[in-house]
Amino acid sequence: MVWISILLFLTSLSAAELPKLLTKHAVDSIRFLSMDGRYAYVKKKAGVLGMVSSFRSVDFLSEAQGSEFVMTSSRFKARLIIEVIPNFHTEFNFYKKNKILVVDWGGIAPKEIGQGINAKLHLQDEWVSYFDPTEKKIHLHNVITSKKYEIIPSLKSNPFFRPEIEMITSDTVVYTDINEQGHSAVVSFNLLTQKSTILYKSPQNGTRLELCQEVGYLSVGEFPYEGVNRGSQIMNVTLTESTNLAGFTTVYSSVDQDLGNMVCLPQALYFIKTMNQDKKLGNKFTEAVQLDLKTQQVNARSSLKNVSQLLQMDGRVMIPMRGDFYVLEGNANLSDDSLRQVPGSKKEELPLDI
Amino acid sequence: MWPLFSLDPLSKFLSGTILLGLCLSQVRAQTTPLETPANVSYPGMIQTFEKLIQIDHDKFSKCSDELIKNSKTFQDAALVNNLDLEPAFLNSIILHSDPGYIRLASSDKCRFYDTIITDLLRSDEGKIKNVFITFLNKDSVRESAIVSKKDFLNKVVNKECPDTQKLIDQFQVKNIGETLKNTVFEVPTGKEQCQNIHLSWINNPKTPYLCQVQEFIQEAKSNGGEPKDLQQRKTVAKILEQKLSIVQKDYLENLCSHLDDEKIFCEEFLNVSFWNKVAAGYEDKVYAEGICEKITGTNQVNDNQLKSCLVRMKKESDLCLYQRGDKSALAPQMECEALSLALNFSGLRSNYVDCPASSDQLAVTNLSRLLLNISQAPLKPHSGPCSSISSGEMIYFNTRFDNDESWKLEACYDDRLNEKEVCAKTFFGSYDNHPASYPLVVANILKNTRGAEQTLKCQMISSRVYNPVLLQYQSGCYIVYEDQKCFISECKHQILYNNRPITLIKIKNKLLVDYFPNNLRDEKFSQHYLLTRDFKQNGRSLNNLSGVENFFKKSKKGVIHGVGCAEDILPSFFKSRGMNQCTPLPFIVDGVIKQDDNATLVTRTALDSLQAPRLVSWSNIFSTVKNYQRMHPLRIWTLYGLD
Repeated sequence: MVWISILLFLTSLSAAELPKLLTKHAVDSIRFLSMDGRYAYVKKKAGVLGMVSSFRSVDFLSEAQGSEFVMTSSRFKARLIIEVIPNFHTEFNFYKKNKILVVDWGGIAPKEIGQGINAKLHLQDEWVSYFDPTEKKIHLHNVITSKKYEIIPSLKSNPFFRPEIEMITSDTVVYTDINEQGHSAVVSFNLLTQKSTILYKSPQNGTRLELCQEVGYLSVGEFPYEGVNRGSQIMNVTLTESTNLAGFTTVYSSVDQDLGNMVCLPQALYFIKTMNQDKKLGNKFTEAVQLDLKTQQVNARSSLKNVSQLLQMDGRVMIPMRGDFYVLEGNANLSDDSLRQVPGSKKEELPLDI
Repeated sequence: MWPLFSLDPLSKFLSGTILLGLCLSQVRAQTTPLETPANVSYPGMIQTFEKLIQIDHDKFSKCSDELIKNSKTFQDAALVNNLDLEPAFLNSIILHSDPGYIRLASSDKCRFYDTIITDLLRSDEGKIKNVFITFLNKDSVRESAIVSKKDFLNKVVNKECPDTQKLIDQFQVKNIGETLKNTVFEVPTGKEQCQNIHLSWINNPKTPYLCQVQEFIQEAKSNGGEPKDLQQRKTVAKILEQKLSIVQKDYLENLCSHLDDEKIFCEEFLNVSFWNKVAAGYEDKVYAEGICEKITGTNQVNDNQLKSCLVRMKKESDLCLYQRGDKSALAPQMECEALSLALNFSGLRSNYVDCPASSDQLAVTNLSRLLLNISQAPLKPHSGPCSSISSGEMIYFNTRFDNDESWKLEACYDDRLNEKEVCAKTFFGSYDNHPASYPLVVANILKNTRGAEQTLKCQMISSRVYNPVLLQYQSGCYIVYEDQKCFISECKHQILYNNRPITLIKIKNKLLVDYFPNNLRDEKFSQHYLLTRDFKQNGRSLNNLSGVENFFKKSKKGVIHGVGCAEDILPSFFKSRGMNQCTPLPFIVDGVIKQDDNATLVTRTALDSLQAPRLVSWSNIFSTVKNYQRMHPLRIWTLYGLD
């Protein structure tokens, strides 16, 4: 592994005010929104998920009344994941398994994949990974071939640890793990040989590792947990045709206790940086920053003082905060009523495959 | 003569002025206190104070000589009017006494007398042996007299302060043990609370007597006082010391040394390392046990291991990040220094372990923490999984307020004779032999279906402990559960009756809890409703920081509870992946730490160990509740102070 120390350029200029996401739907009800605003998946009423397009609205998923929905997508835009969370307000259970469904992009015919949490799409959206919090197993499911694999991580020192998973190829899975002493590691697992290799092991405990993948690179972020006084760093490895994952390059490092929650884009990545901290009381001022992968320059992009999460949804990068979504990348105003043509098509969309 | 205590004479002088005003408003100044002669020069501060003391000495001696010379006898306080202390005598007390004891003396007349009797106040002669008094005789002529301390007690104090004699009795060597047992040495967990505690000690009639004990022990230790009876005093001091616990000794040392300075008194509690408090016995060792067991790699730490571990914890902040596995909760915890700060300001009862890692219904974990904090009752006998305390408390609470119907977890079997399914409410574990304890339920089912003896008792044991080879497990009823897979609502287990597996019992339903009302129709069955309406815990909705601060100022024992989104309260542990994603997580806030304009809240989410709170900013608390409110069917605000 090659370690290259870098000079960090942090633009400390105050960021411009970010636009809030404006849509025709109540923002609270949206579970997924395409970049052009053409497709919106919304929670219609208790336990009911609907899909709304330009002229159509379909309630396509009806679950028990107390159910909630989480939807995620990937850069491949082939499918969407729907997680159905049962007994949302009456079962406060961090071992609870959600029903995991996959639906085609813009589609309304979901297919059940399994039961678990943190489901994620990989490799042209042909693969779905999810984690079983009671059995502590990582599941991999090929949507097309229905091939299934299981990986049993170590997960020793935190009963509520949730691994991050990235598929590099159809054989190679990379996930995060934690040992008994609280040291995090990035592990590469070969599905064919069922053998694992540690790609990176943190020299210190009390930190967590995050993974995110974009065209040509895999990023590993190491950030401290709350209340732990450690620095932060982000390392990248270039992805080539071969599955050689050696040779991480440090693209960012800081003594600050950054929050992380990275979002990867082709040319840059976003993460949450601690701008100022009261070390005694632990209070932090955190902002979304953009790390340019070419120049390794860090630019503050928000001035909200207390950013805690970043979201990526069909290329739109947002900061969710107290009911508002501040847009960092992508169109923020989706509330205009002007009719638009479907890209690459002259017909109205929405193939209702009910 | 220089004062006996190493004191700041100027502050004494100022305190004395206050004392004169407060305590002796009836004293008519016959001479101006401490008149500075016209020809005194002021070459330097120390010389000035030396002069003040010299003046006082002269006046005191003159007054004493005159009173002895006149040899006026004082019969009884009842026979005279307007009885006061001689101003020269008072001035001398002010100059020579510890300012803390002067403050104590100034709270009221009886307390003033108590501080004289207990030898806390000093005059020019050191410990007060004689008291100079002034009074109006039968002919309304003002007279002065000198009385011994004993006569002063009998003729004046006992008449004017009838409770003093009771206090003296309580602090006799034979009674002091009982008195100390009945005295609450309250350890503060917040600044305002500490100020109130300090004030209550100032006004507490026992305080002079407690400080007398402290002074007596200190004096004997330092070989002070009269040499002739030193040996005897040392023996008594030893006896007294044995009656005091280490905590009480330290507490009294802090209190009696800082009666005039609440800031230092409070700093001793709030700014010292929490680990020092554990080492000194002020705080339960449970706070350090899990961490030290992890460090030492043992299942139980002995006193020596604990002590050396506590020393390390003060130096190596990283040691607190992880606890021993089976006591586990969300990890890592905060570093030792931050954890110590949080625990110093934490008020929630935490003297037991409830294993959040064994909870699949965090509402039960959080609510049982609240209930045990409110009741402060000793834990009832319990066995089985670590979650049995939480489940037991919760089922007791709901039964008490006729809400046991909402407890849906049941153990069922097919009654073939009557061709019906028979179910009984249950929870995993045993708590105070509650009829819903799973071992009791299983035993009853075995009696009904297998003709088991009426005396049959079942026992829940961990698969780590269970050894099928041992003779003790060959007969009887055992419920063998897997630690890592036994939770509140679901528990992977096997029932063995006379070494044969029993499969006829099925667990039905899940434990679903309405923490806050989720619909108007069932509002009365929500736990928050039961807590605030039926259990009459005053519930105050809190939606700004000043409201939270005021809550803790007003409420000494109060805590705040709420439900929020895990992604906002613990953003480094839980990452949002989708729009409007929220994982509901109940939590308790039990302290606020303010520094300049900044404030942070001492918070335990239900995932956190009871012994390891976190420091969470108000901004995160507000966001977490706000985002959960957006998801809530009734859009209710879910942050309430309970007191």
